[in-house]
Amino acid sequence: MDADDASFAEMRRRHADPHADPLALDEETAEQLLSGRLSPSQAPPRYAEVAALLAAMTAEPTPEELAGQSAALAELRAATRPRRAAAHARRAARTPRRRWAGLAAVALVGALVTGGAAAAATGNLPGPVRDVARSILGDGGGAGPVAPTEPGQQPSPAGQGHTSTSTGPTDGSQGGQPAGSADHGPDPTAAGNPAGPDMERLCQAFLAGKGAEQGKKLDATAFQYLAKQAGGAEKIPSYCEQVLAGGAEPGEKEKQQPPGGGQGQGGPPTSTGAGNQGQNDQRTTRS
Amino acid sequence: MIGPEFPAVLDAATRGDEEAFGRLWRDLQPRLLRYFMVAAPAAAEDLASETWLAVVRGLDRFRGNEPAFRAWVFTIARHEILDWRRRAARRVTEAAPVSDLVEPAAPDDPAAAALEGFSTRAALAVVATLPGDQAEAVMLRVVAGLGVDQVAGIMGKRPGTVRVLTHRGLRRLAERFGADRIRGVV
Repeated sequence: MDADDASFAEMRRRHADPHADPLALDEETAEQLLSGRLSPSQAPPRYAEVAALLAAMTAEPTPEELAGQSAALAELRAATRPRRAAAHARRAARTPRRRWAGLAAVALVGALVTGGAAAAATGNLPGPVRDVARSILGDGGGAGPVAPTEPGQQPSPAGQGHTSTSTGPTDGSQGGQPAGSADHGPDPTAAGNPAGPDMERLCQAFLAGKGAEQGKKLDATAFQYLAKQAGGAEKIPSYCEQVLAGGAEPGEKEKQQPPGGGQGQGGPPTSTGAGNQGQNDQRTTRS
Repeated sequence: MIGPEFPAVLDAATRGDEEAFGRLWRDLQPRLLRYFMVAAPAAAEDLASETWLAVVRGLDRFRGNEPAFRAWVFTIARHEILDWRRRAARRVTEAAPVSDLVEPAAPDDPAAAALEGFSTRAALAVVATLPGDQAEAVMLRVVAGLGVDQVAGIMGKRPGTVRVLTHRGLRRLAERFGADRIRGVV
């Protein structure tokens, strides 16, 4: 940018010859002013008022500014209550995490099919997969009205459906962005599972849908994958019971799998599952 | 600044500890309000609420230290402003009355105000008279307490540009006080 370069030159010139310009301000002094290190009496004479002004901008909070605290916290409490209540209920009752399982499965379906969980949240799933996702979520309807939309509604606040530049600016420079973003993985459960499908969650989703329309679900890529892991569609229930019991032993697993059937998905499903389950617990507590 | 306790406070707030969240709120709410008072005074309170709502929703996915947290919150705040401006542009007929936009009125005589010691509101009103980019860069540097690189990230500009904007802003403020001085006000 020419204007900027010109201005730098301007700054240097003024620094070199302060007498030519009574308002000359070198970079170091400017920095000291901005960071509040110069009192009005320490500032260059022409900048005494500016220093006073900057000091006033950073003055101690006024009572008015802090007056809204209890109202603000109450509002935030109300806004987040459904999620907290749900999380609390899950912890208290130690119920199976049906809803989480359903959400995880949706994200997983997206991940399997497109390589990115974002598809699940943005509705870009291929038709058959979307149907399955819907049927899983529909089945989890007992968990309340929250299920289908929640992950999409918790984007990275920096994303938040704002401008497309939203996640860009600060990512690199501070490393302080949330792990996920609306564009890349709104569902935290998906982000924690980069290595491959989490058999435990997949099984939870499968078993949660038991008795509903399992046949239809088995058309989905995710459940074909599950069938492959189990060694056949009809073996999914027993395979999943083993997985969820933490007992799918490597030996058995190998036996159950068809020869040459997609083994590139990382370690034993159960160990992956256990690790992610732990994360899931933590996340549930924190939500 | 919360300081060394920040990680513990953030962690507690993330787990739903309201007292901890209150500390974050008390630390940043005044700064947010001041930032909004310059950028969108008619909506400052609402924008602050919206910002906190987004912060709460994203808190469990935030990772970083206190400066990063601050930068993150102000990134959200800036998006809230941009959104608000877009919405405001769509409903021109409902545009806020001018009196809202300039309240509190910039002091007629900033130099005199400086002598008496500025009130925070008066100071913000003076900064609000700067060109938009300059005012924003100054606010993010001074009120949000962010570094050049962080401000550059938030504003989507190069660090050098941010330096120039703040420099021009300071100079312009000094010019304004200087003009008053020449007129014999000071």
